[in-house]
Amino acid sequence: MRKVEKATADKYFRIRTIMVIIFLAIGFAVSFGVAFFAESIYEGGALILGMPAHYYMGAQGAVITFVVLLFLNAMISDRVDKAFGIDEKQNEQISGGASDH
Amino acid sequence: MDQQSLVSLTLILLTFALYIGISVYNRAKVTSDFYVASRGIPPVWNGMAIGGDWMSAASFIGMAGTVMILGYDGLAYIMGWTGGYLLLTFLLAPQLRKYGRFTVPEFIGDRFDSNAARLIAAIATIIISFTYIIGQLSGSGVVIGRLLNLPASTGVMIGVVVIAIYASLGGMKGVTWTQVAQYLILITAYIIPIIFMSLQVTGNPLPWLTYGNIVNELGAIDRELGISEYFAPFTESDRSQFLALLFTLMVGTAALPHVIVRFYTVTTMKAARWSGAWALLFIALLYLSAPAYAAFSRFIIMTQVVGQPIDELPAWTEPWVNTGLLEIADTGGDGILEWEDLVINPDIVVMATPEIANLGVFVVGLIAAGAMAAALSTAGGLLITISSSFAHDIYYRLLKPDATDAKRLKAGRIAIVLATVAAGIVALDPPGVITQIIAWAFGLAGGTFFPVLFLGVWWKRMNAQGAIAGMLGGLGVTLGYIFLSMNGIMLFGIQDTGAGVFGVTANLLLVIIVSLLTPPPAQHLQDEAMDLRYPEQMTYKDGEVWMNDSADK
Repeated sequence: MRKVEKATADKYFRIRTIMVIIFLAIGFAVSFGVAFFAESIYEGGALILGMPAHYYMGAQGAVITFVVLLFLNAMISDRVDKAFGIDEKQNEQISGGASDH
Repeated sequence: MDQQSLVSLTLILLTFALYIGISVYNRAKVTSDFYVASRGIPPVWNGMAIGGDWMSAASFIGMAGTVMILGYDGLAYIMGWTGGYLLLTFLLAPQLRKYGRFTVPEFIGDRFDSNAARLIAAIATIIISFTYIIGQLSGSGVVIGRLLNLPASTGVMIGVVVIAIYASLGGMKGVTWTQVAQYLILITAYIIPIIFMSLQVTGNPLPWLTYGNIVNELGAIDRELGISEYFAPFTESDRSQFLALLFTLMVGTAALPHVIVRFYTVTTMKAARWSGAWALLFIALLYLSAPAYAAFSRFIIMTQVVGQPIDELPAWTEPWVNTGLLEIADTGGDGILEWEDLVINPDIVVMATPEIANLGVFVVGLIAAGAMAAALSTAGGLLITISSSFAHDIYYRLLKPDATDAKRLKAGRIAIVLATVAAGIVALDPPGVITQIIAWAFGLAGGTFFPVLFLGVWWKRMNAQGAIAGMLGGLGVTLGYIFLSMNGIMLFGIQDTGAGVFGVTANLLLVIIVSLLTPPPAQHLQDEAMDLRYPEQMTYKDGEVWMNDSADK
């Protein structure tokens, strides 16, 4: 066991929190945001893949965005962990030992 | 028995044999096998199992039909049931995994060091899962009843027997691998018919790219008929109802105990993040297909069924009229079938469309097997959750802390059989249509658990009093609003399916206000909450973070 500088630990938490806020804001915008303005988009008459844009966002656009966000999160989080010297093998051993009580 | 019933039944029996075989092969030997599969499931497979667990009768049988009937307004289900995985994977799953317990009530009980909170959470988990399972059983009743020309209630009973056997034998480990198989079967069964429909209607085998033009054409057909356009927003309900339903489904998804428990079956926080990503990818395959299914169904009905003479109806209509889920009345009195003459229950669309489009006995049978896979896989996961709430949280943690492994396993199996039989009895005469029953379960889950779990993970100052007040208040407000709105008393045009909005708000406010008015929790509990901010290798202790470089213990 060695001590982690408070500044380093806080930085780790801050990076992860900022990621969560950004990803959730994008997710919120493509679902609630588009639905809120659905009537104006509908009247605007824009088409995506042949269907009205607000319908496309509900049927495909939002879902695809969610999937992309989750994979981005998993990949970027791995990099963040690596940058802070986290070793996944050790994580596995620690959680395997600590969890069953 | 005609050829169709024979083919469908054979396919269903073959898949049942597969599920039972898998569950016997992976028979649970110790308690942790039973509840969390000994935490050894790799993320891709766990993601697929979450997909099978998640996609229930409502997703498979109900959703496409709901979109077909409601048009744009039905898309709240598509976005809500997928968007919940963002909240779950970002805000809850990895942290709950690091906390490392077996169940949601156990997290709540230990995090706030309160047996009262544990008991309330266990009872709420049982209520939520029980509501959800009724929807699954009535879904399987529809399928079996239609196939064998039996009353739906007999179909329910057949489903109950199969579910109880494999869930109580295998436990979570058996259920995990069964759910992987069920996912593969249900996704194949869902996508094959829409590929055929896409070929039939547009000549292109990729439905996801072709149905946009069909959606546009449906709008034109509707304009001609003088009804509101298929894709016009908020024709069936207010914008506030759409947003409230979307919110309820999203937050409920993130707080459903049987989904959260899946994230306890992975090894680490990292694996939890990847499981969430894979799960949503597998789930999205079906959710991206449902609007295509809906568009093709509506197009085929509009162009091939509507406008036909009413006394020469095709053969597929008769069995569905017999089930009471399809009504045909010649309202115009001109002997021609009009769109207005058809009263279609959304629950039959997925099952009936392949028959309407003449896709052959094999595809129709495959759909039936897929529908059963969806209903059974979700029911299996729900039963494990009910059994663990009872056997682990109430029996072991509260009543008999000295109970042996064997006794706890036995209590879990008894709980499964009792819950299945009780849910089966309610499902004989279901209190609503599938999607509606399921939407209540989401409202209850979000209203009872989401703010408590969210703040429990992220706010160290939260205490037991806040948790208890939040859960009781949220549960009460959600239940109260469901009953009020069913009786016509509504706020802002929000219906019973959007009740979660009020439950979650009440819960959140109660947690914050009551926690601040009562003494802060003990220091070690606050430290445990701080610890969840960091990966496993980092430990928070007395205001300092420690890195564990050698995990030799």
